[in-house]
Amino acid sequence: MYRIRFHGRGGQGMKTASRILGTAFFNEGFEVQDAPRYGAERRGAPIFAYVRAARRAIYERGVIRHPDLVIVADETLVAMPAAAVLQGVDAHCVVLIHSREPAPVWQHRLNLAGPVVILPLAEEREDRLALRQIGTACAAAAARLVGVVAWTALEQALRDELAALGDALVEANLGPARRVYDFLSPQQGCVAPGPVVAAEGYVRPDWVELAFEDARVSAPAIHAALTSEQVQTGQWRTLRPVIDCARCKGCWWVCSTFCPDGAIQVDESGRPRIDYAHCKGCMVCAAQCPHHAIEAIPEQDAPPAEDERGAK
Amino acid sequence: MSETRFQTMKDLPSCHLLGTGTALCAGCGGLEALHEIYDILGEKTVVVNAAGCMTLLAVYPFTPFRGSWLYTAMASAPAGAQGVRDALDILLAKGRLTAEEDLQTVVLTGDGAAYGMGLSATSGAIERGLDFLYLCYDNEGYGNTGQQYSGATPHGARTATSKGPCGYPGYKKDLFAIWAAHRPAYVATVVGAEPLDLARKIEQAKNRQGPRLILSLAPCPTGWDFDPSETAQIGRLAVQTGVWPLKEYRDGQVVHTKVPQKRLPVEDYLKRQGRFAHLFQPQRNEALLQEIQARIDAYWDNLQS
Ligand SMILES: Cc1ncc(C[n+]2csc(CCOP(=O)(O)OP(=O)(O)O)c2C)c(N)n1
Ligand code: SF4
Ligand code: SF4
Ligand code: SF4
Ligand SMILES: [Mg+2]
Repeated sequence: MYRIRFHGRGGQGMKTASRILGTAFFNEGFEVQDAPRYGAERRGAPIFAYVRAARRAIYERGVIRHPDLVIVADETLVAMPAAAVLQGVDAHCVVLIHSREPAPVWQHRLNLAGPVVILPLAEEREDRLALRQIGTACAAAAARLVGVVAWTALEQALRDELAALGDALVEANLGPARRVYDFLSPQQGCVAPGPVVAAEGYVRPDWVELAFEDARVSAPAIHAALTSEQVQTGQWRTLRPVIDCARCKGCWWVCSTFCPDGAIQVDESGRPRIDYAHCKGCMVCAAQCPHHAIEAIPEQDAPPAEDERGAK
Repeated sequence: MSETRFQTMKDLPSCHLLGTGTALCAGCGGLEALHEIYDILGEKTVVVNAAGCMTLLAVYPFTPFRGSWLYTAMASAPAGAQGVRDALDILLAKGRLTAEEDLQTVVLTGDGAAYGMGLSATSGAIERGLDFLYLCYDNEGYGNTGQQYSGATPHGARTATSKGPCGYPGYKKDLFAIWAAHRPAYVATVVGAEPLDLARKIEQAKNRQGPRLILSLAPCPTGWDFDPSETAQIGRLAVQTGVWPLKEYRDGQVVHTKVPQKRLPVEDYLKRQGRFAHLFQPQRNEALLQEIQARIDAYWDNLQS
C-alpha cells in the first residue's frame, strides 16, 4: 500500500493535491482513500492531507502515521513542531521539499536517513496567486515518484478535479504539473509501497483514563481573559510586513485600525509596532498605509533573529 | 453627528481590546470589524455566539475576549441572550450586582444564523423587547463549512452549492428591512473598511436599550476568493459602488450615513473577487452584469424620490 502525506498551509491547495492524486491512482485501477485534515485553524495555518492507494481493499483508517512519501509544499513548515511534517518519517520514507535549498542541506539539517528530493522553488512563487498551483505541482510530483501513475491518468484526474473552476484554470495548472512530472522523471519509482498492517499486529495506544466528572467540573470553562495570546499565529506567515520608520508618518494609525488581528499597537509617541508573534501576514496593513511605509518581505528572506514580540 | 466623540479619524482607538492569536483566516474582514467594534463596546459584555467561523474565536482553553463568552446552537443565540439577560436582571434585582457592574448582552453570529436559521428566535427576542445587541458579520455564505449559499448570498455569486455559469440564482435578503419592520431600538449597517462610520454607530448602539442590530459586511478572502491583503479595499468598494449602503434606523427613521456622491460601477467590486469570475470569463455575461447594476441603481434612485 502507498501512504502519502501532503503538508502545506491552508489555501495552498493540499486538499486539492490529495484529491487529484487519489483520482489519478483510481484511474490506474487502484483502491483509494484521500482526506484532508484540518484543525480549527484557517488559511495560512499548517494543514495536511493524505492518500492511501492499494491494489486491494483498504481497511486502514485515520491519519497516516508511517508514510512512504511526505510532500512539503512550504519549507517554512518543517521547523514548526505543530505541523508535524516529519512524524513517522524513517529510512524507507521519501521526503520531497519545495525549496530553494539543495537536498544535502535538508538531509543534514534534519538528519534524515531516507532520500530527500527537491522541487525547486521558483521566484515567481512569491506571487500568492501562483501559490495555488503548488497543489497541482505536488500531486504531479507524487504521481511521478511513486512511478505507477502515467501522465494520462494524472492529466485526466487534474481535469476532473479542477473542472468546476473553469477551463482557464485547468489549462493554467496543466503546464506546471507537466513540467514537474517531467522534471522528476529521473526519480521515477523511488517511493516503495509500505507493508499492509494486519489487525492482529495492531498495538493499542496508551490511553489516559479520565474520570467521569460532574458537569460543573468538567465543562470547558475558561476563567482568564485574553488567553488566545498564547497561540503564536505568527507562524502562519509566509510574508512579513516591515515598517520603514523613515517613511511612516505616524498617521491616524491606519495600519493598526485595519489589521484584522489587532497585531499592530501604537506606542505613546504615535508609532506603530507590529507584534510578530501574532501577525498572520495578510498584508492588509501594507495595502492600506497611505504613505507606503510597510513593505512585504518573504518570511524565509527575513532576518531570523528579529524579536518575535514586536520590538524592533 | 455633533453628539459623537468620534469627530475625526484621530479619535479612533489606537489600543485594541480584543486579543490576538485567534484561529480566523489571515485577512478576515469579519475579524477586522469585530476588533474595531470591541474597542468601543469594551469588556463589560457577555458574548453569545452561534455556530460559525467566529466560534473559532474561543477554542478551549483560549479566548481573545476580556469578558464572558457563551456558545449556543446555530438557531438559538437570541434565546441564549434572553437567558443571560434574565440572569443579569435577577442578580440586579437581588442586589448581587450593582448597576455599575451590569453587562451588555451581545449576540454574535454569521449571516447563516442571522438571515436564516436564527431568524425566528431573533424575531421572538425583538418582539419581547429583549435588551440586547446583535452583531452579524455578513460574509454572504456559510463560511465555516466551506461557503455554501445562505439567505445573504448575493445574486450571481459562486458558492460551494451554486456553481453553474450564473452562480447563485436567488437574491440577498434585506435583513435591515426585516429588523426595521419590527420597530427595534436601533439598526445599522457597517463595514470594517469605514472605521469612523462604524465607531459612531457602535457608540449609538451602546447607548441605547432594547433590541439593536449591527450588520457588518465581512469581506472574506477564503469564501469570496481574493487575496487577503485586499480585505479593506473590497469593503470600501462595496460602499463606493453602492452595493453595501451604510445606513441606520433610529427613532423610526432610516438615514443613510454615507451616500457615495458618484457611484463607481459595480463591476469594479465584482471583478476583484473569484466568486464572480464567471461573469467575466470565458466571456462577459452582459445581461447578468446589467441586471446587478440595475438593481443597485434602482435602490439609490428610490431613495432620491
Ligand atoms: C443546526 C445546525 N446546522 C448546521 C450546522 C453546521 N454549521 C456550523 S457553522 C455553519 C455555517 C454558519 O454560517 P454563518 O452563520 O454565515 O457563519 P460563518 O460560518 O459564515 O461565519 C454551519 C452550517 C450547525 N452547527 N448547526
Ligand atoms: S499606516 Fe503607515 S504611516 Fe500610518 S502609522 Fe501605519 S505605517 Fe505609519
Ligand atoms: S500583515 Fe499587517 S494587517 Fe496583517 S496581521 Fe500582520 S500586521 Fe496585521
Ligand atoms: S472563512 Fe471568511 S469569515 Fe470565516 S474566518 Fe475565513 S475569512 Fe473569516
Ligand atoms: Mg456567513
